[in-house]
Amino acid sequence: MIEVQKISKQYSLTKKQQKELQTNASSINAVNNVSFTCTPGSVFSLLGANGAGKTTTLRMISTILKPTQGDIIVGGESVLNNPEKVRTKIGFLTGSTNLYDRLTPAETVQYFADLHGMDRTIFEQRKDKLFTQLGIHEFSKKKIAQMSTGMKQKVSIARSMIHDPSIVIFDEPTSGLDVITANSIIELIKQCKLEGKTIIFSSHIMSEVDLLCDELAIIHKGNLIYSDSMKNFRTQHVHQSLTEAFIDIVKNNGRKELLA
Amino acid sequence: MNTILTVYKKEIKDTLRDKRTLITSIVLPAVIIPLLLFGMTKLMNTLMKKESDKKLKIALIGNTEAFKKQLEDTTISLISSYALEDGKTAIAKDSLDAVIEFTPEFTANVNELKSGKINLYYKSTNLMLEKRVSEKIDGIKNGILNERLKKLNITPETLVPFDVTKVDIATAKEQIGKMAGGFLPYIFILFCFLGCMYPAIDLITGEKEKGTMETLLTSPASRFQILIGKILAIATIGLSAALMTIIGMVGGLKFMPNLPPDFLATVNDMVSIKFIIMLFAMLIPLSIFFAGIMSALVIKAKSFKEAQSILTPVNFMVIIPAIMATIPGIVLTWQTAFVPILNIALATREIIAGTINIGQYVVVVLSLIGFALGAAFLSYKQFSKEGMVLK
Repeated sequence: MIEVQKISKQYSLTKKQQKELQTNASSINAVNNVSFTCTPGSVFSLLGANGAGKTTTLRMISTILKPTQGDIIVGGESVLNNPEKVRTKIGFLTGSTNLYDRLTPAETVQYFADLHGMDRTIFEQRKDKLFTQLGIHEFSKKKIAQMSTGMKQKVSIARSMIHDPSIVIFDEPTSGLDVITANSIIELIKQCKLEGKTIIFSSHIMSEVDLLCDELAIIHKGNLIYSDSMKNFRTQHVHQSLTEAFIDIVKNNGRKELLA
Repeated sequence: MNTILTVYKKEIKDTLRDKRTLITSIVLPAVIIPLLLFGMTKLMNTLMKKESDKKLKIALIGNTEAFKKQLEDTTISLISSYALEDGKTAIAKDSLDAVIEFTPEFTANVNELKSGKINLYYKSTNLMLEKRVSEKIDGIKNGILNERLKKLNITPETLVPFDVTKVDIATAKEQIGKMAGGFLPYIFILFCFLGCMYPAIDLITGEKEKGTMETLLTSPASRFQILIGKILAIATIGLSAALMTIIGMVGGLKFMPNLPPDFLATVNDMVSIKFIIMLFAMLIPLSIFFAGIMSALVIKAKSFKEAQSILTPVNFMVIIPAIMATIPGIVLTWQTAFVPILNIALATREIIAGTINIGQYVVVVLSLIGFALGAAFLSYKQFSKEGMVLK
């Protein structure tokens, strides 16, 4: 379970940044008073345009960034008080594969398993299971630099899932991937859901959101402008596609801002 | 500690697979330095021998009959047919090696017990020529001097009122250490720095640039553990580069042809356990100091290129104190023992010379440890800043 409790993230601006953004403000709010809850066994989708604050929110959940205000409780642990404990519970997967070119897939997952302090026997079993599921065995001793993007993404998945996390964060996991690899990630998310994991899924591909999502939240200019179940969302927007409804919500929020 | 070790082992494995690091840290110092030392010496000796054995073509001008025999030998052929200007032109065109001009009043002056004058025309680029011709001319000069002394009934001792015997108490090791001992630390400090440079850029900026840093930060390892693992890996590569340089230099010197026995004995002393332990005690904190400083600096960079341009000026801050240690007169004192880089260079020179003051050596080691801890702390402060570690 993830409980996001009124979190804000404020960045102070340098003079150069103030000039670039044409503002006199000494700081900027990337995320502003955002709250939501993700429950186990369901997929929570976080939507928003580029720069809306999605990645900042996900980075705060995964403890890479510290909230300026509020707190996040991940699997019963506070990101502020116990970030190391939080990180033992999460798996983080992004669209960019973020792998070490000079290591092999076997060495990569071993590295992250060691960082998680996994028992050797459990690690071997888990690795074997993941490598079989993802079809990594055949290239497990090849250097990452020599692999295709699809192969790399499979290794990236194995690396994120090696410690069997109860909470998985997917930040645009299929961006830039071919249909087959993207589909394997969709299947993985479904599998995680079946296993009762808590899943946060952020994407610009609305068909994937439509397919996977149980809860939906839309973030715009750092503010949470919509949060409800997918069931309610569909009831509220019967005659619209998800893309149309998303654009409407964002535009309406913009109008409200102007009127205010 | 386990996590630090995990990060350290991975970084070492990763770095050792990088060809650029391997070349800078292992191949260059271990192979190129001895090859250069050995090759350069061999080349110098060959060139010197070739120049010494080279048959010289020398033109004589003036009344030279009396001296021809003294000047001529199997390696010098004398020509008497040149005019001075023609001779100079021939030297410029390399068809003649030198012109020895006995001035017209030379014989008269010598006979009247006055000073005669000889002009020697040659190219200074013609190695060994001046030495070889001067030896011949000195022979003529000494012959005339002895004849004059005989004529005047004066013994050669009359011209030497007393003899001074200089006894140098400094051992050969001490002399060599003080003269050449500054060169060794200059080279190994430089290679230690270069050895740290590529891994620092790769493991800090490279990881940030590739996005792997973000993934690493989602693991249970704390920023402190990640950074210490990285700093230790960078320092290990820097230390290996320094050691390879020392091994390369000592190995190159040991097998160098025609090395004086005293010099060889000093080189042999450098492979003693005592020397190695004393050097290691300084090199370990020095490499950590370099790794810490570099990590703190390159963490700001967003790309490999930017990191390189940040570290390039730092090169000079390392080279200058290392060069200072080769200047005679700059010695290890209680004050210089606190100056990083300069202190290790001066201390190494004293160790090679066998004149190290143990108290000052301890201060050098402690101050280097202090600087290493300070650099690591500075680096940690930078690494803890959220904006620094993300793309």
